[in-house]
Amino acid sequence: MLRNLLALRQITQRTISTASRRQFENKVPEKQKLFQEDNGIPVHLKGGLADALLYRATMLLTVGGTAYAIYLLAMASFPKKQN
Amino acid sequence: MTHQMHAYHMVNPSPWPLTGALSALLITSGLMMWFHSNSIFLLVLGLITNILTMFQWWRDIIREGTFQGHHTPIVQKGLRYGMILFIISEVLFFTGFFWAFYHSSLVPTTELGGYWPPAGIKPLNPLEVPLLNTAVLLASGVSVTWAHHSILEKDRINAIQALIVTISLGLYFTLLQIMEYYESPFTIADSVYGSTFFMATGFHGFHVIIGSSFLFICLMRQLKFHFTSNHHFGFEAAAWYWHFVDVVWLFLYVSIYWWGS
Repeated sequence: MLRNLLALRQITQRTISTASRRQFENKVPEKQKLFQEDNGIPVHLKGGLADALLYRATMLLTVGGTAYAIYLLAMASFPKKQN
Repeated sequence: MTHQMHAYHMVNPSPWPLTGALSALLITSGLMMWFHSNSIFLLVLGLITNILTMFQWWRDIIREGTFQGHHTPIVQKGLRYGMILFIISEVLFFTGFFWAFYHSSLVPTTELGGYWPPAGIKPLNPLEVPLLNTAVLLASGVSVTWAHHSILEKDRINAIQALIVTISLGLYFTLLQIMEYYESPFTIADSVYGSTFFMATGFHGFHVIIGSSFLFICLMRQLKFHFTSNHHFGFEAAAWYWHFVDVVWLFLYVSIYWWGS
């Protein structure tokens, strides 16, 4: 039973192809080069397009949501008169 | 290009404190809309913007430390102080709930029958699932220490395994507690017993989820080679937090589950 277990382990180790092996290689030096580039971009945008999109989406939701919350506050502050 | 002549970290201007503060506004006013106007839209918006802020803020910290090298020894010292002070503030938070529990249970009022547990309350057996939960969290404290030693000894595989074990134990605890909550013969509305029980264990469970999430991020970072044997403060912070969560449970177990039954 133990021999089967060891064989299974060897098979799974060999099956990891080159493509997925790249997932577990050390990519920190690449990241260090990207984020240390002297381009004046602040850290929250320095990763690329995805950063900018996520930033805009977050700002839109928070500022828009704040405006909506203030609107609701205004509505709640002046209740409609009932006859 | 200008260079700094000191070892401190002057951060780039960041939008996340603003979005974080606004998300807090949306969460609180969202709660009001939910309670009084039967609408969860604002609350959900608040929670989403809160999560977006946390993700991006902490992502930036990883970039500043691991990729840009800003976390010099003196900066790391500041981060250590910060984490310790934060955990102390959390201890004080739980102290409040323990105070409430002891206030009500040491001098039970006549409405409760003059004794504790109050009349009509059938408390959970401390030697059943609660004891298992204690074993699970204590074991997770051992496995997180195993993970730490593995990182210190540059043992990548063992560090990954130990982190997986720790996170799994945390998830197991959470699942067991969810089951206990579902099967419990008493609810939060059942006198001050229910209130103190669910407020204390509920907030603890929330902190277990936070701690497990923090450890999961550490697992991802360990897989991506972020931690070195002499610089892995993110992991240490997660481990400190996890030990704190464990200790709170021990107090809960002894006070509420055991003495309080």
